[in-house]
Amino acid sequence: MTDRRRNFLILLLVAGLLAGSVAAIFAKKARLGLDLKGGVQLVYQTKPSAAQPVVTDEAKQRAVDIMRKRVDQVLSGGTGTSESEVSLSGKDQITASLPGVPNAARAVKLLGTPAQLAFYDWESNLLGPNGKPYANGVSPGLLATDPAAAQASQAAGDVSGGMPLYDAVKTAAKRGVQPGQASRRGPEFWLFDKGSSHRLLAGPEDTRKDLIAAARGGVQPPNSQILVVQQGTVVLQATDQNSKKPVAPGDPAARFYVLNDNVALFGKDVKDPKQETDSQAAGSPPNVTFKFTNTGKKEFHDVTRTISQRGQQLQNPTSTGGQPLTQHFAVALDRKLITVATINPQDLPDGIDGEQGAQITGSFTIQSAQDLANLLKLGALPVNLKLISQSQVSATLGKEALHQGLIAGVVGLGIVILFLLLFYRVLGLIATLGLVIYAFYFYALLKITNSTFTLPGIAGLILTIGVAADANIVIFERVKEEIRAGRSIPAGIAVGYKKGFSAILDANVVTIMTAFILFVLATAGVKGFAFTLGIGTIVSLFTAVMATQAILGAMGRSRLISQPSALGAGSQGRRWTFDFMGSSKYFFSLSGVILLIGALAIGGKGLKFGIDFESGTRITTAVTKQGTTENDVRSVLASSGYGDAKIQKLSDKNLGPTAFQISTRTLQPDKVATVNQQLDQRFGVPQGKFSSESVGPTFGQTVANSAVIAIIASLLVISAYIALRFEWKFAVPVLIALMHDLLITAGVYSLLGREVTTATVAALLTILGYSLYDTIIVFDRVRENVPRMPRAAFSQIVNRSMSEVITRSAATTLCTLLPVTALLLFGGQTLGDFAFALLIGVASGAYSSIFIASPVLTHWKEREAVYTSRRHRLEDENDGKVPAYATGAAGHEVEPKGPRRPSGRLTAPEPEQLSPSEFEALKRNLDVDDAPARRGTATAAPRQARPPRTSSPAARKATPPEPRSADDVAENEGMSPNPKPRKPAKPRNRRHGRPR
Amino acid sequence: MGMLAWTMMGLALWHFTIFLPDRHWGGIVGAFLGALIGAIIFGLIVNGFSVPGRHDTHLLTAAEAIPGALIGMALVYFEGVRRERAALASPS
Repeated sequence: MTDRRRNFLILLLVAGLLAGSVAAIFAKKARLGLDLKGGVQLVYQTKPSAAQPVVTDEAKQRAVDIMRKRVDQVLSGGTGTSESEVSLSGKDQITASLPGVPNAARAVKLLGTPAQLAFYDWESNLLGPNGKPYANGVSPGLLATDPAAAQASQAAGDVSGGMPLYDAVKTAAKRGVQPGQASRRGPEFWLFDKGSSHRLLAGPEDTRKDLIAAARGGVQPPNSQILVVQQGTVVLQATDQNSKKPVAPGDPAARFYVLNDNVALFGKDVKDPKQETDSQAAGSPPNVTFKFTNTGKKEFHDVTRTISQRGQQLQNPTSTGGQPLTQHFAVALDRKLITVATINPQDLPDGIDGEQGAQITGSFTIQSAQDLANLLKLGALPVNLKLISQSQVSATLGKEALHQGLIAGVVGLGIVILFLLLFYRVLGLIATLGLVIYAFYFYALLKITNSTFTLPGIAGLILTIGVAADANIVIFERVKEEIRAGRSIPAGIAVGYKKGFSAILDANVVTIMTAFILFVLATAGVKGFAFTLGIGTIVSLFTAVMATQAILGAMGRSRLISQPSALGAGSQGRRWTFDFMGSSKYFFSLSGVILLIGALAIGGKGLKFGIDFESGTRITTAVTKQGTTENDVRSVLASSGYGDAKIQKLSDKNLGPTAFQISTRTLQPDKVATVNQQLDQRFGVPQGKFSSESVGPTFGQTVANSAVIAIIASLLVISAYIALRFEWKFAVPVLIALMHDLLITAGVYSLLGREVTTATVAALLTILGYSLYDTIIVFDRVRENVPRMPRAAFSQIVNRSMSEVITRSAATTLCTLLPVTALLLFGGQTLGDFAFALLIGVASGAYSSIFIASPVLTHWKEREAVYTSRRHRLEDENDGKVPAYATGAAGHEVEPKGPRRPSGRLTAPEPEQLSPSEFEALKRNLDVDDAPARRGTATAAPRQARPPRTSSPAARKATPPEPRSADDVAENEGMSPNPKPRKPAKPRNRRHGRPR
Repeated sequence: MGMLAWTMMGLALWHFTIFLPDRHWGGIVGAFLGALIGAIIFGLIVNGFSVPGRHDTHLLTAAEAIPGALIGMALVYFEGVRRERAALASPS
């Protein structure tokens, strides 16, 4: 197959894919994430439950399935058209993204509730203030002497008979582990204020560590106590039948009962739950009816019979005539008594037959009764869930964020295109075409894979614009180089693409690997970024390399690019003569000073961690009442008990002239809703201008842990890849440079007091992958030049390599920084945070690849015997100094002979066209040099490497030369400073370049 | 946070080894390891083998790494010199 045909086929493929992409773009609707559409995001941590002592993958998946059903059938009204997502994330998290859901509190209640229904024999399990059962074995006549027991029994779960939370937990904490069919496995921990109020500070939690983490500031407050309730005892909250609003456990008005946790029936024994109305009660209030499974029927009948028979044996001490004592059957849902049904022993001497099912009555609204029926229908979650993060974005703010992201993207693309056109002219036009094709492919791919567009995803997209342009720059610079070296334009294009590809491949593989690690380990928001970065990099490899090559190849002999000037290769280009390695000490010093300042800043100021790490609730809201001050807002918050919140006035044009950011301890969604309501009543909150984010302490820890793991994993993978593709000594400077970049970014964040968020962490991890781009470009050229310059010192090789690629590095860095700057300026706050870290990291990465990684490599490699001896020879020849660039014999270049491999080429090769430099090299190889006096001859005297030198070059000259190692054999080491003039070479009979 | 401050300080000081003759054991990379390990170990010793947390880190925490980094680099340097001399003194 000829190149022409190959190009034609690739162009055909590109056009076909483009047409397909356009069709996909118009056919499928974009799926916007919460941050762009508005809605609620909930992150839960899975915990063991009584039914599932060990949280297995299968149990987590079952929980996700149940939660999906709850979203589809309950939250979205059973339409099943919800764009909500529930998925596993990280090691033990479940993330629910619920776009368009306005009520966070209801979403939390429906999704995270275990929906564990438990039926208790009330009297036999109810415990007195001393922690012992009232009935104490249900011996007849006992209650006759115990009016308190009778009173508690007849209170039937009403708030009037309950006790305050602290008293209940203290009572429960007196008991050890109890046998029985418990609803909970293991102990539970509570944290109370030791003062007279006995305020609940945190809990209940499964472990002491979790309890402390949940306390304010992550430490146990000084005047507090921890109470531990062992397995087998349960504290159930009483329900106030007259109250329309749920009462929080920490509310002083809440009342509790302590029970022996011996469950008679679980929710799994229930079937067909329905919301109905109780026609017999006044006003026909809503209730929930259900039937029992076969097992449930039997168990229900058995337990109600037992209860009834006991009632017949007991006499009510408060009534006259020795009436049997009315007995009860309690139903609890997730530690709350929802109903305590009465069983009259006289009416039901044989208990209740389970055939007819049962009903739960209580202070239901139709909505809450429907929700409960649906929860019971879908079943209990196999694991317990703990809400660790919750955010709510209003649709208006989401739309504005999307608008800002799009503007940043368009501006970023625009300036990259402008830069390419100005710098590379016709090549720039082709690169632009490649970028446009890339944009279509990428957008279509995201739609085809049903990916959700999020703000971090947009950041990834904008960054990949830079990556795609970088690939073109690397190739175009190589093409220009080849054309300037004397190749024809078609040959320059072919060779340029071939030689540039290895550097692009290495750089992109590292970026893809980092994106993959990020995707696997990161939290939900960052995952979107990692996904787009990975996909974008793969697509850009295709468009920036294959597509543009085919376009250029197809027009290789056209008039449009018939002149080198059309490709920006008209002049010889700038030849850098700067001594990069010699000047490295100044750049090292600069970095040292920056890091020193950074270290002091980290010590003195520390890093300002955002809510993702600190935990707490952040509310961002606008108010309509002009002139509202921070103190006005504080006074409203103080009335709800949040007077210690940090309140900051914002200047955000999206929110309007009067906007505030409120940061406080972690609030549950219902509390956030209360704050919203109060602010609205007092100052007026415009529709869609209220958003909140709540993060629990475990979430921040998870984010930090996953970031550390991701950084270590990335570093290992990058090192391994560099060691494999280059050599292991190249990997160490890369790691040092990466460390330099990360620490400088951290130092800048500390100095400027910028907030570190999950976006910053994602940006730091991206820097790991991306800052290698420039390093790989430089190292790739060093690798190429090492065999070409067999007599040069390593510093000279690096200097030469740097001078050849510095323009390219500057261009690629600029090309990435341009869209990142657009992101910073136009991307709004979230994207701005992200862009800032990227800006610092990418700039530092470019700097470190040139001024840190390369000098470290030079210093290290020059300790190798072969380079030590070269350096010594050069110092001997040049009065103790090694010239910055290889000149004379040291500058002699050879064309390396790589191992011959099968070409694997599918197409017919281009006609051989040699550049002048290759022609010269060929002449030398054929030994037909027309200027023999310029060159020395190689000597074959084997030598040993010198030991490390300790004396000056002058002193060295005085000492006889030491034997050297065989390392020097190929280096012309024995060449005399004043070579004897060679005899004119006799013409020899040759065939195929070899003497016969 | 203390560990971050020590590492940064160690790395910062390492940058100035470029002005010294390249006689470190393991070269510039040896000096790098010496600076980092020295900074961290000294920091740990000063703080009773515990790493200061976010709220316990202050300006002095970063400064605590300076002697450690210098000692680490000095040890690596003198070991390099010793090995160099040993190599010169060896009959081969």
